[in-house]
Amino acid sequence: MNYSESETKAKKFAVPESFIACIVVITLVVSLGIAADSLAFGRRTIIRIGINAPITGDIPKVGEGTKYAALMWLADIEKNNGIEVNGKKYPVELVIEDNESKAESAVKANTKMITEDEVLFIVGPQSSKQAVPAGDVANNYHTPMISPWSTNPDTTSRRPYVFRGCFLDPFQGPVLANFITEEFKFAKAAVLYDVSSDYPKGLAEFFKQAWEKSHGPGSLVAFESFTTKDTDFSSQLSKIIKSGAQVLFVPQYYNEVALIVQQAHELGWQGPIVGSDSWGSAETVNLCGKDCYGQFFSTHYAAAGAKGATKAFIDRYQKEHGYVPDDVAALTWDSLGLVRNAIENCGRITGRIKKDREAVRDAMAKIKNFNGITGNMTFTEEGDPIKCAVIVRISDKGEYEFYKSVCPE
Amino acid sequence: MQLFLQNIVNAMQWGSFYALIALGYSMVYSILMLFNFAHGDIFMVGSYIGFGVATALLGLTAAFNLPLPGWIILVMTIILAMFLTSFVGMFIERVGYRPLRDAPRASAAITGLMIGIILETGNLALLGAERLSFPALIDTVTFQVGGIYLTNKKILIVVVSLALMSALHLFIQKSKYGMAMRAMSYDFQAVPLMGISINKIAPLTFAIGSGLAAAAGILYSLAYPVLDPYMGVLLGWKAFVAAILGGRGSILGAALAGFLLGFIEIFSVWIFPSTFRDVIAYSVILLILAFRPHGFFGQAHSTQLRL
Amino acid sequence: MKSPIDKIKQLFNTTPLLAWLLGWLAAALTEYFIGDAVSYYLGLPRIPVLFGCLLALKKPLLIPGATGYFLLIYLLPFFLVARLCRRPANYLASLLARGPVSLAAIIHLALFYLALHIWADISDYRLLLLKLTMVAVMLTLSLNVINGYMGEFSCSHPGFMALGAYTASTVTLRLFADDKLFGAPLLSPALGPYLFPLALICGGIVAALGAVVIAIPSFRTRGDYLAIISLAFLFIVKSLIENLEFVGGPRGMSSQPDYAGLPMVFLGMVSCVWIINNFVCSTMGKALCAVRDNETAAEAMTVNTGKTKIVTFMFGAFWAGVAGGLFAHIIRYVNPGSFGIQRLAEILAMLYFGGLNSVTGSIIGAVSINILSEALRPLELFKWIIIPLLLIMVMLFRPTGLVSFTEFKAEKLMRPRG
Repeated sequence: MNYSESETKAKKFAVPESFIACIVVITLVVSLGIAADSLAFGRRTIIRIGINAPITGDIPKVGEGTKYAALMWLADIEKNNGIEVNGKKYPVELVIEDNESKAESAVKANTKMITEDEVLFIVGPQSSKQAVPAGDVANNYHTPMISPWSTNPDTTSRRPYVFRGCFLDPFQGPVLANFITEEFKFAKAAVLYDVSSDYPKGLAEFFKQAWEKSHGPGSLVAFESFTTKDTDFSSQLSKIIKSGAQVLFVPQYYNEVALIVQQAHELGWQGPIVGSDSWGSAETVNLCGKDCYGQFFSTHYAAAGAKGATKAFIDRYQKEHGYVPDDVAALTWDSLGLVRNAIENCGRITGRIKKDREAVRDAMAKIKNFNGITGNMTFTEEGDPIKCAVIVRISDKGEYEFYKSVCPE
Repeated sequence: MQLFLQNIVNAMQWGSFYALIALGYSMVYSILMLFNFAHGDIFMVGSYIGFGVATALLGLTAAFNLPLPGWIILVMTIILAMFLTSFVGMFIERVGYRPLRDAPRASAAITGLMIGIILETGNLALLGAERLSFPALIDTVTFQVGGIYLTNKKILIVVVSLALMSALHLFIQKSKYGMAMRAMSYDFQAVPLMGISINKIAPLTFAIGSGLAAAAGILYSLAYPVLDPYMGVLLGWKAFVAAILGGRGSILGAALAGFLLGFIEIFSVWIFPSTFRDVIAYSVILLILAFRPHGFFGQAHSTQLRL
Repeated sequence: MKSPIDKIKQLFNTTPLLAWLLGWLAAALTEYFIGDAVSYYLGLPRIPVLFGCLLALKKPLLIPGATGYFLLIYLLPFFLVARLCRRPANYLASLLARGPVSLAAIIHLALFYLALHIWADISDYRLLLLKLTMVAVMLTLSLNVINGYMGEFSCSHPGFMALGAYTASTVTLRLFADDKLFGAPLLSPALGPYLFPLALICGGIVAALGAVVIAIPSFRTRGDYLAIISLAFLFIVKSLIENLEFVGGPRGMSSQPDYAGLPMVFLGMVSCVWIINNFVCSTMGKALCAVRDNETAAEAMTVNTGKTKIVTFMFGAFWAGVAGGLFAHIIRYVNPGSFGIQRLAEILAMLYFGGLNSVTGSIIGAVSINILSEALRPLELFKWIIIPLLLIMVMLFRPTGLVSFTEFKAEKLMRPRG
């Protein structure tokens, strides 16, 4: 009896109590809101640069290289107390997001960086499978983005806000085909590539076109493939050896290169094996050992015998992280250099992010003859750099020796 | 003809790995009726343990100037790594599977899958993104027999895996524990009533399976000396196909199916354009199952998902 | 005197769903109007997008601010409005309970959508996340039909999703978009948004046809063969798409038209939940459960087991295809690599986390795993240790998932309380 009485009492009092509380809170919040509007402009302007890198997933090494290069770049900026625009120094922050080496995650990361972190510029994603969809996001939000490593033409095509830091497959394929023709005077070639990864597949096809253009149809005697994560290539290689090819072109990543070259030698392959820029990692020689000595590949820069800024970068990276940086790190470094250049020349930073993004994009497109560690760069209409490829020979000490340089006409 | 023989050699080597890994799957599947989806990653752990052991042994021989030839180190590596990895397997059984013995089988499968992801990520977090290169314990010697290229490693891999498979077969057929295992696979409910403790048989099953995975891992690293945290994923799933294809309750069947899968993959590359390899190889598997729905050696039975 | 816990319990017991929805709407509105100002006063750089999780993990100093924001913007209006609206909402709910269920459901859903829309309007990142979560709900639920209600273990869901995604993308790109793979559009692009559901249905149908390929060999016997047949199917689909040059091969297809807005995805998810829920509650669904528990007995009870299984499998595949089509139009890019083993592990994790044989469970599983994997993003690598550990914990303590073997009854959910 007593209990129910107290309950009804509580019920009677509960309503007015909560009403009062609610009115107090609402007035408080509203007054706060009105006051805040007048103060909201006081927030400091910080330049945020987004890094979209594959830190977990299939190619963690690429993510690591990207991250390290970006942190080195940031250290430089911090030493300088920020980026100077129009006589005023602005602090810089990096927003590093992991894209798990997945397309949808790269899209999420880009959306988050653009809308949440309000980055001024995005560097990355590296592989084309993430850079193509992520580039779409950046372009739709009118945020400039540069992919240091993606060689797929789709990444930048019809996207004014998307740039890239490396040369394209349609350029690299013919460079290698011509190099083999001139260097070895061979007439029969074979290709072994990963059919489920777009970079090797694209390059393999451009190489095929170029080769058949100069040697006639049928001169590419074997065009064999495998799928990502395969480790046994014996059947494909047996087929290639049987076909009578004189040279083997392998546009693969370093971990597969080691296996392919070793297995080819075990199956009796005698000829040279030529690779593409994806060979250009210190890991290639670590994993492959003596089997790779004497082979050639095209790349963005040659680590051994580098001079000037390139050498300074390599030495510093090696000192900080214990290994020679691969092309991803070098290209990321250059891309960030381009970004810095663009920001410095964008006129002025207003703090209104949309306007600043426009200004930086325009400054980026105007960059002429940027002197990067991977070569001179000038952007085309599409946002692709015109730059030279380097042919490198792996020396008998396992170093990457500069062999020759091929520039677009 | 020459190419045919060469491809048989290739397929023997490639099939051995599927077979060895499928054996581990099949042991757990036949005896405990579980899908151990962590098995591919146990294989990865085995390779890394093998790497650690081999590096340590090489370091010791160099430090004390011991005149140990490479093959002795290899044998010691295989034995030690099998031993250590079997503890990993038993540990996984203890924490991940034993508490779930009465749960739906699918739950245990998911637990396995998650343990696998933890192993992969843990490895990545501990050892970093660098891929490791397995030390070349023995020098590669290439022979040429009638136009076919053989290497001493290929022969070694096939011989060691066949030896391990026959040892396992003998163990299952002749030993007391083997008999208990076969009984367990015959009737999961009644056998514990006969005084055979499932808590003894289950860890043993996992230990043997993991040991075989470790052996496979080291042999694999000899042939393909690039180690990375995700190396076991695809191989594991494919070996899983082989294990079930062999048929429940037949451990030899799993080994045979493993070799068959290797042959199908290698030969579909040889005969057809290699871009269509997966389409053709797995269509063949579908066809086989359409005609032999219980796998090669499995008896017709009605397994019920214990839900 | 009653303890505060009892009071809260009482509040939950006497407040109908309608009032909670109104509460959430109030919270969303509060954030919409004063969120920016409040976040400024609490020292936050901007409105915390995921209840402050991302901020809290990156900058621990902001935790008090983020918590305060959460209390002020979400909890306070939510409970306040729910409490205040309790009586009128109960009255309204009892009115609605007298009418047809569908009317009540539509009113509830409209309210729910309104709140979601306002909530997602704050940031596009939130919007994207919301859309992907809804697609994940569809995927999980459709897999639950096969792995839960039918009791099989199917691994081919990413394959069905890929079929749906590619079919729907091909249809929209061919018909409504100027694309470099297919050339000029066949129909006027203005029609696109209206005919988009048809494209999704096409995707679903192709996926269902794919399911027949698996169903014919695997349902001849019962057992685990479905697991490997479906796995083989997954490998085949992925490899086949890689070889089909006209859909871009490994490069994939990009620039799908932007048809998958929030209303479209919401509609897709709601119809998926509604139809699947009706399916599993229908005679067919009951027959299905009978087949799962004992096939022979079900056969004896005049259940056509073969037909039941094949229809169910196709039904599950259909929804996976529709979800795939939506996914392709949200990301606006598909490539075969997105539909591999990794995706399979993800869907399986969501399903078993949430719970088998339960529509509610699937929704809970998909939403929580999705939000969690986004919220833990700042942890990078360790995210993939924490999520699996959590899942193992759930499996150890609730082996069939968080909410399993329950029926989802809309009437019960919407009923007046008190």
